[in-house]
Amino acid sequence: MTEPMNTVAAAPANGEQPVLEVRDLRVNFASEAGTVRAVRGVNFDLYRGKTLGIVGESGSGKSVTSMAIMGLLDKNAHVEGSIKFRGDELLTKNDKEMSVLRGDRIAMVFQDPLSALTPVFSIGEQLKEALVIHNPKMTEEQIVSRSIELLKLVGIPNAEERLKSYPHQFSGGMRQRVVIAMAIANNPDIIICDEPTTALDVTIQAQVLEVLQRAQQETGAAVIFITHDLGVIAGIADDIIVMYAGRPVEKADVDTVFHKPVMPYTMGLLGAVPRPDREKSSRLVPIPGAPMNLVNMPKGCPFAPRCPLATDICRQGEPDLLPVEGREGQLAACHRVKEIVDQNLTFSDIYTVGESVKSKFDGIPREQRQTVLDVKHLKKTFPLTAGGFLRRKIGEVHAVDDVTLDVREGETVALVGESGSGKSTTLLEIMEFRQPESGEISVLGKPIAKRMSREDKRELHSNVQYIFQDPMSSLDPRLPIYDILAEPLKVQGLSKQEINDRIRDLMALVELNPDQVDRFPTQFSGGQRQRIAIARALAVNPKLVLLDEPVSALDVSIQAGVINLLEDLQNKLGVAYLFVAHNLSVIRHISNRIAVMYLGRIVELGSNHDVFEEPLHPYTKALLSAVPVPDPQIERTRQRIVLEGELPSPSESFSGCPFAGRCPMFSTLTKDQQARCLGESPELVAKGGAADHMAACHFA
Amino acid sequence: MSDMATEEKDLGLNQDVATEGTPAAVVVNPVSQGGDAQDLKRTGRMTLYVRRFMRRPSAVFGLVVLCILILFALFGAMVCPWKYDEPDFTALAAAPSADHWLGTTIGGSDMYAMIVRGLGRSLLVGIISSTLIMIISAVLGTAIAFFEGVVEKVGMWILDMLLTIPSFLLVAMIVRSSSGTSGWLWLTIGITAFGWIGYARVIRTLTMSLRELDYIRAAKFMGVGSFRIILRHLVPNLGSVLIINTVLGVVSAVNQETALSFLGLGIKAPDTSLGTLLMNGQSSVLTAPWILLFPSAVLILLTFSVQLIGDGLRDAIDPYSRSAGKAE
Amino acid sequence: MIKYIIRRLVNYVIMLFVAISMTYFLASAFMDPRSNYMSRNPRPPEASIDRSLDLANINDKTPVLVRYFNWLKGIVTEWNWGLSPDQEPVAPAVASRISSSVQLVAISTVLSIIIGVSLGVYTAIRQYKWQDRALNAVSTLFLVTPAAVLGLLIVLGTIAINNATGTRIFYVTGLHSYEGGNIGLAILDFLQHIILPTIVLVCIGYVNYHLTQRTYLLDTMNADYVRTARAKGLTLNQAIRKHALRTSLIPTTTNIAFSIASIFTGAVITETVFAINGLGRYFVTTIQDNDINGAVCIAAFSGVCTLAGALLADILAAWLDPRIRLN
Repeated sequence: MTEPMNTVAAAPANGEQPVLEVRDLRVNFASEAGTVRAVRGVNFDLYRGKTLGIVGESGSGKSVTSMAIMGLLDKNAHVEGSIKFRGDELLTKNDKEMSVLRGDRIAMVFQDPLSALTPVFSIGEQLKEALVIHNPKMTEEQIVSRSIELLKLVGIPNAEERLKSYPHQFSGGMRQRVVIAMAIANNPDIIICDEPTTALDVTIQAQVLEVLQRAQQETGAAVIFITHDLGVIAGIADDIIVMYAGRPVEKADVDTVFHKPVMPYTMGLLGAVPRPDREKSSRLVPIPGAPMNLVNMPKGCPFAPRCPLATDICRQGEPDLLPVEGREGQLAACHRVKEIVDQNLTFSDIYTVGESVKSKFDGIPREQRQTVLDVKHLKKTFPLTAGGFLRRKIGEVHAVDDVTLDVREGETVALVGESGSGKSTTLLEIMEFRQPESGEISVLGKPIAKRMSREDKRELHSNVQYIFQDPMSSLDPRLPIYDILAEPLKVQGLSKQEINDRIRDLMALVELNPDQVDRFPTQFSGGQRQRIAIARALAVNPKLVLLDEPVSALDVSIQAGVINLLEDLQNKLGVAYLFVAHNLSVIRHISNRIAVMYLGRIVELGSNHDVFEEPLHPYTKALLSAVPVPDPQIERTRQRIVLEGELPSPSESFSGCPFAGRCPMFSTLTKDQQARCLGESPELVAKGGAADHMAACHFA
Repeated sequence: MSDMATEEKDLGLNQDVATEGTPAAVVVNPVSQGGDAQDLKRTGRMTLYVRRFMRRPSAVFGLVVLCILILFALFGAMVCPWKYDEPDFTALAAAPSADHWLGTTIGGSDMYAMIVRGLGRSLLVGIISSTLIMIISAVLGTAIAFFEGVVEKVGMWILDMLLTIPSFLLVAMIVRSSSGTSGWLWLTIGITAFGWIGYARVIRTLTMSLRELDYIRAAKFMGVGSFRIILRHLVPNLGSVLIINTVLGVVSAVNQETALSFLGLGIKAPDTSLGTLLMNGQSSVLTAPWILLFPSAVLILLTFSVQLIGDGLRDAIDPYSRSAGKAE
Repeated sequence: MIKYIIRRLVNYVIMLFVAISMTYFLASAFMDPRSNYMSRNPRPPEASIDRSLDLANINDKTPVLVRYFNWLKGIVTEWNWGLSPDQEPVAPAVASRISSSVQLVAISTVLSIIIGVSLGVYTAIRQYKWQDRALNAVSTLFLVTPAAVLGLLIVLGTIAINNATGTRIFYVTGLHSYEGGNIGLAILDFLQHIILPTIVLVCIGYVNYHLTQRTYLLDTMNADYVRTARAKGLTLNQAIRKHALRTSLIPTTTNIAFSIASIFTGAVITETVFAINGLGRYFVTTIQDNDINGAVCIAAFSGVCTLAGALLADILAAWLDPRIRLN
């Protein structure tokens, strides 16, 4: 696998020389547990104007690869192999020699825009630095005009003024634009993007992806785009490398990877993601097991323990990344590639799709089910204080503004929205179990009153439970699983024997080994930990579970298993979910009803089908169009509604529709209509065909 | 006093708590999701701590020295014919000799016996007050942060107010009036009474980040009582910080004791402490330097060894700690 | 901004008032000026003791609240902080010692900051190298060594040097001994006196700056924005110097502001060892003499310093950090 021939994914016909050649790149780190073999032999060529996507789950070595190219790895990293930039070996260069190339020829955009800019320097100073370090002769005038040009290119309005601003005065999306502006400042040959949109909301993600594509066109640079999101990569990449356990396991052009994958891992990855553009047809198919630990790896194919096709050969030796016979430009690292190609095996042949459990409430129409949660006109405001120094109240944030919704037995209601839309605050407000600032919350028909008896509170706790986003932080690391699961039961006053029995049942319910109750949370993988958190929430047989982004911290291949478990449990136990997520694909898959939130208000409410297929509100439409679909053909052809601007400051108060400032429909309206949008706040009323499909828009 | 300025300093600590405890065990990812065959090589938390601690030669050195010092304080008096409160009037300010191994003071007291006694006093004052300080500050600090709202505001105001006057002055005032025999007790009380305030502030800042953690919120959402949350979730998760602070607190308590006694405001005759010995030695620097040198050496050995242990513990328990860049 | 500072000042004044009052009651409860007279030989008659104590408003036969209000009235109406048991006004006594303390402490504080911060930066960049380990070991040693031990050992060493050379190179007591009119000699004399206590104070003082600056810089060195700076084309050292260092100096600056508080009480031991008549030494005298008013006056003074330092720290932080800065 060191022959360069094999490493070419898609060499252009005209014999163009690659800008970057990576050969047998290996990176090891020393760690407490032993040597971590983070990257174990990566090969690829990169050509001008092309985008290479590197896909993988956490720990697959994709980010380490990019840092190795930049020469930004920690000192304790041991790097082997070869990275050649225009024939020039990079790995032998020292920091000083590398710094000549960095930012000038090879630039990078990082994942977290919030921490990527130095807080004590203005945007202008930081842009200037990027320019001056490589062009010391630039005059002050040239610098300013180039900076303004760059900021305009990445779509920052009022560029002249914004140069004086500090990073904290920018939103995440705006900061990422600044980082991109710095990256393209010197027209680099290579731009490396390491999960550049992962920390951003989907509408902002669409904007930033557009900026990146524009930047690539301007500079003609080659782009390495690293992500775990198959939807994003489908739209942006020309070629794709799929990485697993520090190695590429499949490499091909984007259409081949998405439509004719041969490596079982690639297939599994594609099959495990829910699709935002399709109605739920069947259960998701999780890849069993968890990603490989990179310390003390066993011999054999690292995917073998999780692979349904694994045979003895797979466990004996690790397969090389070899061209797939009969497929132009496709390479795969799999011992059984021949069978897969010959028999044309696809995802559904390899992975077994499980049967879903029938719901307790199957066939009972929604109206006849009991209402478990009824929220009427809920409001929540936070005082807004300025800065750290001047701690005075300067306004109010309407985090939740007049939210009305109900949840019935056995159904899943999803709250969708971008960060700052108030979806999580709504959950927390319900969970406080106290009379809200304004409005009413009823659980099982009983309103939450100002003063409640201890008994009533206990009952509330037994009926409503909560699941957090990050199972890493929601389980006390100092307590063994047994004590964690016993906690809600003790609150309910169960006896020791009852608790014992219940915990055994619970462990079985979430498909964990009951013998492991003495272990600590840190000894479990992310997916298992979330199962424990689910078990804890279900321990007291609640009627309603509030879930705050329960799968967004998990890897794609693990996510599917947890989603399936949540579905099965709902069907078995008849519990209702109020589900908050920003990932519309997951929402599409799991929910019955959907409430779209914008700036603390529900702008559209309806059944899964109605909201996704016949969205009414212009915001919903924009949101849906921004969601990337893991299918390159669809991505290429579809029209995206890219929203202008950012989410307005939550402290702003609106006399009219809060969305009017960004609304794509607004400009198409007549003057009178526009005046109505600005002057009159739209109510959430039934629109469109179904009686339970509502939208808050005057002209939807 | 200034929230902002100190907050900044404490930030480092906050993050430690969040990450602390996670890497204690080597997680080997199980083969199957529901897996019964989770055959993982477990390294117990304690084993790991001990291993990390023992890997640092300086920490081991500190531990050995401290053990020797403690044994010396406990049993050192048995091998010496002289008692600390029975001066030998035939040998005033005598140089070290076979008779008086470390010489005598101006008053004729045997230096060896005095140092054994003084070391015992320093250790006693240091360990007791540091432990008490940590208990008081842990309970009050977490409570102030946990209850938030008015409790926190008032609590913080009081803490800041108490910190306005340097504690050293207040301790000196209290200990001043004590007699020779009860001096060490008053010193311990004084150091404790004004020593917990700063630590309580630090622990409150730590708790502030803890209370936002999901597992604390999870406990609240399940209806677990406040007191239970403090004792079962908050304090144990601060545990490592508390242990480290207790150990390092011994150093500062010993230093305070030394300073006060040296000024003649701490432990007084007939009782003695290392600080008191220093005060005696000061007047005869030229004529009888041993009176100064031996207690100085013991003091440095004591504080240095404890500091090395504390640093070692911090590295062992909190390997990602950036709290306070102490030695190595 | 002004409004904010005024509000904070008002809060500080209240805080200070409560703290000083508390100190007054503590001092009155634990200090016993009567014992000064009781131990005299011959013991003065009780009436005369009472008269002396009454004059200084420290008679334990008067209810403490009455004494407190008298004391308070004196301060508010005539800025009179009361008398010592020897009928000396305490406020002028404090004021007269401020200059000695400032001379002693100002030089050493500046040196401590320069040395400490430089060492912090130097060792942070060389984390885990031998320079870092060695300097950290030295600093740890200074950190744990009681000031009295350090001071006395230096005195011991100096005397040995003086004896060996046969001349008095360094003085181990006081701040001045030259009485002539030659400026040059007077300065030399001052330096000969000040150098030893300064060494002691710097040894004790720089450690904190060294260790905290090292931590702050290590924290910021791994920050994402340093990586961004390197990705722009700065070398590691450039990125650290320009981006990490600047940010890491902000907390250090506020630390320095805070250190104003310790300036006047931090030198108690050093002043005692080197017989310098500063505030620290005066404080020890007040305690030994059961001088309630004197002790409270000192406490009040250091309280003012503490809060001034806190306020300064806030203002500096706001000035240096755009995230806190006012728009």
